[in-house]
Amino acid sequence: MSGASPSGSGRVLSNPPSDGISNLRFSNHSDHLLVSSWDKSVRLYDASANVLKGKFMHGGPVLDCCFHDDSSGFSASADHTVRRYVFSSGKEDILGRHAAPVRCVEYSYATGQVITGSWDKTLKCWDPRGASGPEHALVGTYPQPERVYSLSLVGHRLVVATAGRHVNVYDLRNMSQPEQRRESSLKYQTRCVRCYPNGTGFALSSVEGRVAMEFFDMTDASQSKKYAFKCHRKSEAGRDTVYPVNAIAFHPIYGTFATGGCDGYVNVWDGNNKKRLYQYSKYPSSIAALSFSKDGRLLAVASSYTFEEGDIAHEPDAIFIRSINEVEVKPKPKAIPAAPPS
Amino acid sequence: MATSGTDQLSQIETTCGSLLYELQLIWDEVGESDDERDKLILELEQECMEVYRRKVDQANHSRAYLRQAIADAEAELASVCSAMSERPVHLRRQTNQNATSLKKELNIATLQLEEMRKRKSDRLSQFLHVMNQIRKISAEIQPDGQDQNTVNIDESDLSIRKLEEFQRHLEALKKEKADRLTQVLEHISTLTTFCTVLGIDFKQTLMEVHPSLGDAEGSKVVSNEVIERLASVINGLRKVKLQRMQKLQDLATTMLELWNLMDTPIEEQQIFLNVTRNIAASEHEITEANTLSADFLNYIEAEVERLEELKVSKMKDLLLKKKSELEELRHKTHLIENGDNEAEISKEDIEDGAMDPSLLLQRIEDQISCVKEDAFSRKEILERVEKWMSACEEEAWLEEYNRDENRYSAGKGAHLILKRAEKARATAQRIPGIVEALCSKVIAWEKERGTEFTYDGVRLLSMLEDYSYVRHEKEQERRRQRDHKKLQSQIIAEQESLFGSKPSPSKTQNTIKVNRTFTGVASRKLSLGTAALLPTKLDFPCNKETPSTKRGNEFMPASTAEKGAADIGIQAKTLSFNSGNTNVLQSEPPRKPFSVMNRSNEHEEPPREQVSLLAQILPMTPAQLMPTSTPKTPGTVSKPMQMAATPAPIDGVHEVSVTIPKEPHEMEYSFEERRLAFVYQL
Repeated sequence: MSGASPSGSGRVLSNPPSDGISNLRFSNHSDHLLVSSWDKSVRLYDASANVLKGKFMHGGPVLDCCFHDDSSGFSASADHTVRRYVFSSGKEDILGRHAAPVRCVEYSYATGQVITGSWDKTLKCWDPRGASGPEHALVGTYPQPERVYSLSLVGHRLVVATAGRHVNVYDLRNMSQPEQRRESSLKYQTRCVRCYPNGTGFALSSVEGRVAMEFFDMTDASQSKKYAFKCHRKSEAGRDTVYPVNAIAFHPIYGTFATGGCDGYVNVWDGNNKKRLYQYSKYPSSIAALSFSKDGRLLAVASSYTFEEGDIAHEPDAIFIRSINEVEVKPKPKAIPAAPPS
Repeated sequence: MATSGTDQLSQIETTCGSLLYELQLIWDEVGESDDERDKLILELEQECMEVYRRKVDQANHSRAYLRQAIADAEAELASVCSAMSERPVHLRRQTNQNATSLKKELNIATLQLEEMRKRKSDRLSQFLHVMNQIRKISAEIQPDGQDQNTVNIDESDLSIRKLEEFQRHLEALKKEKADRLTQVLEHISTLTTFCTVLGIDFKQTLMEVHPSLGDAEGSKVVSNEVIERLASVINGLRKVKLQRMQKLQDLATTMLELWNLMDTPIEEQQIFLNVTRNIAASEHEITEANTLSADFLNYIEAEVERLEELKVSKMKDLLLKKKSELEELRHKTHLIENGDNEAEISKEDIEDGAMDPSLLLQRIEDQISCVKEDAFSRKEILERVEKWMSACEEEAWLEEYNRDENRYSAGKGAHLILKRAEKARATAQRIPGIVEALCSKVIAWEKERGTEFTYDGVRLLSMLEDYSYVRHEKEQERRRQRDHKKLQSQIIAEQESLFGSKPSPSKTQNTIKVNRTFTGVASRKLSLGTAALLPTKLDFPCNKETPSTKRGNEFMPASTAEKGAADIGIQAKTLSFNSGNTNVLQSEPPRKPFSVMNRSNEHEEPPREQVSLLAQILPMTPAQLMPTSTPKTPGTVSKPMQMAATPAPIDGVHEVSVTIPKEPHEMEYSFEERRLAFVYQL
C-alpha cells in the first residue's frame, strides 16, 4: 500500500501487472479481484488485504478474465486460447481455442457455461464441467456479423456487441438464433456493453463519449424509455474533446452505474433519474476497467493507458481500490419540497 | 316559723310523754322489772339518739355537698374565666356579702357558671369559625397541607386577644390569597397573550397547569406549585416566542436577501409585508394574534425554500450565462482555455449541479476578472495584430488583383478598385514595418510579463517569425522568378537573333500561368479560407503564406507547383503548424469516427508496418500518424513532389492523400486490435 497516490483516488493495489490492464473483476463471494493484463498474466488479489494471491501466465496478452466461483476462474487471451484456473492448487488448463484472439469471456451461473467472444467473428459456449480437453468442452459455436468487442450476461440473456455497431441479444436457453438482432443506437464504435442488474436492458458505450441506455422489451412503452447521454467530454474554447468510454460497471445494490473513460475520470450515474451522482477525482491514466465488489462497498478502478493514441509515453498503470460512500452511489429521486421542520 | 316548729315540737314532746306514760302503764301491767325497764328505756333513748344522729349526718352531708358544689362551680368558673381572661359579670365579691346562705351562693355560682360557659362556647365557636376559615384558605394556598396553620385550638386560651390574633392571621391569609389570585390572574393574562401570538390553545395550556385554571368562572387554586408552574410555563412560552421571533426574523432577512438577489416584483413582496416589517421588532412589540404560530412559521419557511430553489435554478442560468460571458471574453482576446487547468468549469459541470454553485460562480467570476485584466494589457498588441492581418489581407487581394487580366477595363466602380489597389500597395509596403513594430511590442510585453504572448494558443512571436521568414522567402522567390524571366527573354532574344523567330512566349507563360492559376485559385481559396478561418488564427500564417505545407489538403499540389524545390525547406519549417492544420481541417468535414478528437485521434491508425499485420490497409496517411516525430519526415516531402507533376490528383487528394492505394471500404479497429498489432510488431 503506497501513500504516493492521492487519498482521493483510493488505495493503490500492490504488485500490479507490469503492462496495461485489460479487465478486472471482483468475485461474487469475497473481495478477491481477478485482473487480466497485457503483460500476459492473470493475477488474483485479495483487494481488502491488498495481497497478491496468485499469478498465471498465458502465451499472449490476456484480454479478459472472469470468476467461476471463488476458487476458480477463466481467462481469454490473444493467443487464441480460453484457459481455466483453480486458484488454490495453482492448476490451469486450456478450456478451448478460437481461430483468432479471444476478446471476452463470461461465466453464466444460469446455464453453468463459459461464453467467449472472439475476433474470429464467433461466439463459443463451453461446458467446464465436462471432461477436460478442448475437444469435449465446446457446446456450440455461433457466428457473429463481425468481430466481438464486448459481452454481458444477466440471467438468461446475453448481449454481444461487435465491430460495425452490431448488437445481438441471445437467450442462453436457445442459442441457435439471436433473440434480437440490433444495431447500436450510437453512431460510433462500441466500446463496452453491460446489462442492468435487474435484467431489463443494457448500457452501451462508444468511443465518442456517449452512453446509450437500452431495453430488451421491444414494446413501444419500453422503447420510449431508452435514451443516450454524453459523458467524458471536455469543452474548451467552444470545442468539445471527446473521449472513449471504456468501462461500465453497475452497483449491485443500487442499480446505479459507474463509467470510466479515456479522460481518466470515473462518473457515477443514476440511469432512472438521468442524473450524474458523482465524479471521482481524475486518475493518472485512462480508465480501462471498473468493477464493484459484490456488497457494493468497494470499486476497483484500473487506471491504465488503453492505447487510444497509439504508442506514446503514459503514466504507469495502476489499480485503485476505492471504498464507496453511500452518497456517491445512492440514487437521489427528484426532490419533492419537504415539509419544513416545525 | 319558729313558732310552728316550736309548736310541733311541743306537740311531739307531749306525744312522747304520753307515749312514755302509756309505756309505764304497760310495764306496770306487765310487771317488767326495773332493770328491764331501764334497759328498754336506754334502748329507746339510744335508738332515738341514733335517729337524731342520722339526720344530723344527713344534714351535714348535704351541707358538705353544697359547699363542694359551690367550690366546684367556683373552680370551674375560675378556669373558664381564666381561659377567657374575663371576669364574670357579677363579681364574686359581691356575692359574698352578708353571709348569704350556701344555697344562694350555689345558685349564683351556678348561674355565673352557666353564663361563662355560654360565653366560652360562643367564643369557642368564634374561634372555630376563624380556624376553619384559616384552614380553608391555607388549603387553597398550600393544598399539600402544611400543618403550620391548622393549629388546634388551645382551649386554655380563648381570650379575645387570642381571637383577635387569629383573626389578624386570617386577614393576612385572605390578603395573601387575594395577592396570589391577582398574581395568577396576571399570569393567566400574560399566558393568554403569548398563546394568542404563538397560535397555541391557551385553555388547553391552562388546563395542563391546573384544571381549576381552565374554568373561567370557578375559583382558582393559588398554591405555590400552581404559581410556580404558571411562571415556568410563561417563561417557556416566552422563550418559544423569542425563538420563533428570531427564526422568523432570520427567515425574513433571508427572504429580503433573496428578493434583492432575484429582483422580485413589489406585489409579491407586499404579501409578506407583515413579516418583513417586524424584522427588527423586539419581543414585546409583537402582539398580533398568530404572528408566531407554528403554521405561520411553516408557511414562511416554505416560501423561503421556494425562493431558494428558484435561486438555485436561476443560479444555473446565471452560471451558464457567466460561462458564456467568459468564453466570449476569451474569444475576443484570443486566449484559449487552459485545458489542463482543474479550475476550468465545463458546461456539464454546471448542468449536473454536482458541484457547489456558489463555488462555481466564484471561480468563473475569478476567471472572468483574470481574463479582463489580461485583455486590458493585451489590447494594444491585439489591435496591432488586427492591423497586420488586415494589411496582409489587402496584400493578398492585391496579388490576386494583379493577376486579373481585366483589371484595367473600365467598368462600374473601376475607379474605386484602382483606388483600393493603390492603397493596398501602400499597405503592402508598410507590412514589414508593422510586423517589426509588433514584434518589438510583443517582446517588450513578454519581458514585462515574464510569459509568452499567446494568440489562440500559439506564441505570437513564433507566428510573426514564421511569417517574416516566409515572406522573405517569397520575396526571394519573386526575385528569382523575375531573374528567370529576364534570363528567358534574353535567351529568346538570342534565339531570335540566331534563328529568326520567337518561340511563342505563351508556352512558357502558360505553364507558369497554369501554375499560377492554380496558385491563384489556391490563394484565393486560401485567402477566403483565411477569412473563414480567421477565428482560428492559429492557421492564418500557414494558410496564407505556406499553402504548400498543407498536407492532406486540396491545395497542396497546386502550391507545390509554384514553389518547386525551395518549398521543401518551407514545408520543413512550417510543419510545426501541421497539427493545427489538421485540427482545423478535420473539424470542417463531417465528423468521421475518430476524426474529431484533438490529437488523440491522430494516432488512431497504426503505422503502415502494423497495417500489414492486420492484413488490412488503412486509408490514413502514415505521416499523419506520427506528428510527434520530427517534422522532417522524408515521406511527407516526397509526396507533394509526386503530386506536383500531375495537377489532376487534386480530386484524389480531396480524400486524405495516400501512398497506398485506397480500400473500397474503411476498416475499423478497436484499441485492443491496434495494440496487439503493435505488440506483435515489436
